[in-house]
Amino acid sequence: MYSFSKSAPVSRRRLRIAVPVLLLFIAACASTPPIPSASLQAAQQSIADAERVEAGTHAPAQLGEARKKLSAAQRAVDEKKMIVAGWLADEARAEAELAVARTSVAKANAVNADMKRSTATLVEEMQRKTGDSR
Amino acid sequence: MNTHHSMIAAAVAAALALGCASTPKQPAGSEQVRAKLTALQNDPALAAQAPVATKDAELAVTQAEIAQPDAALAAHRVYIADRKVDTAKAQAETRLAEMQRTALNEQSEKARLDARTRETDLAKSDALVARAEAAEQKVAVTQARSDADAALLAANASRQQAEDLQRQLEVLQAKPTDRGLVLTLGDTLFATGKSELKSGATANLDRLGDFLSEYPDRTAAIEGFTDSMGSEESNQALSERRADSVKRYLVARGVKSDRLRSTGRGENAPVADNESLSGRQQNRRVEVIISQANGAGGGK
Repeated sequence: MYSFSKSAPVSRRRLRIAVPVLLLFIAACASTPPIPSASLQAAQQSIADAERVEAGTHAPAQLGEARKKLSAAQRAVDEKKMIVAGWLADEARAEAELAVARTSVAKANAVNADMKRSTATLVEEMQRKTGDSR
Repeated sequence: MNTHHSMIAAAVAAALALGCASTPKQPAGSEQVRAKLTALQNDPALAAQAPVATKDAELAVTQAEIAQPDAALAAHRVYIADRKVDTAKAQAETRLAEMQRTALNEQSEKARLDARTRETDLAKSDALVARAEAAEQKVAVTQARSDADAALLAANASRQQAEDLQRQLEVLQAKPTDRGLVLTLGDTLFATGKSELKSGATANLDRLGDFLSEYPDRTAAIEGFTDSMGSEESNQALSERRADSVKRYLVARGVKSDRLRSTGRGENAPVADNESLSGRQQNRRVEVIISQANGAGGGK
């Protein structure tokens, strides 16, 4: 995106150099690239994945943030800010992926805690049973 | 290079810089993200758990660290890097939890096994207790049975006794009457006109003595009878003497005298007519009436 021609003429055709460079600069900063549909789609998919694993329960902050980013991306598309839209979509995706990962941790920890608890209960029960055994 | 050229280049660079963004040395926040990633990579428990995500995060962080004139892009990259590091960390934590689960599983299995073992032991000791209880019960049952046997034996014995009594009474030829069992001893006991018992004629009296010894709750009324020959007075006296004689004999055999009552009935209660020899013989007799001590008639 940001490049300037190496083949700038040496002579005094300053204007003829400056104009294309300026045009290039304008193109770089203000052109309207196509809709970042791949990023938007990936973000949508990631949010759907997060919803499927019930990130709404285990990582609500991340899932909410991902949704916010995605709708911001869509607003940016509406405003023809395609680059920003692409960034926002990518951020939405990263956020949704984090939501999935956080959900996995929460679930894994819950399972472990459950196992620890049931083992503790078992041990406790056993000790009680042995304690008042005849 | 001529000066024009470098001037132009400098101008373009300046324009670029002005046009898009300032160019900070290191994008804001990238240092913090790097620190977070380093912490993850240095955590011995987590470092190796999520290699792919960690590598991905590493790339994102490296890109976020690149000096970037566009602040928005730089912020975007830092944002992405930050989330990727967090994601890698979360994945590593998940993996660690799953690994710990194996150990937890083993612990739980062990606990369960211990519980089962203990339950078995308890059950075993319960079984021992139960067995002991069963043994006690068996003893009790045996006791009860032997009690029952004893009762049965006692019942048998009393039935035996009743049967014996019956048999002995039959031997004595006692007859059940409304006054009780009446045993009639014939005149063969005595010589005519005498009240002394003839020796050798006392077998029936011996049996009576045995019977009374065996059944101490029985009493006997001894009554003497005569035929009508001779005077009434002498017959009365003779009958009394003969009844006494029988009583004495029985007392001598060990029967207590208070269980025996002797009376003379003389000639006034004949069982046959006195005209014939055989009738008179039947009338000369001693009757022994056996009854329960309480006065009730014995047997059937």
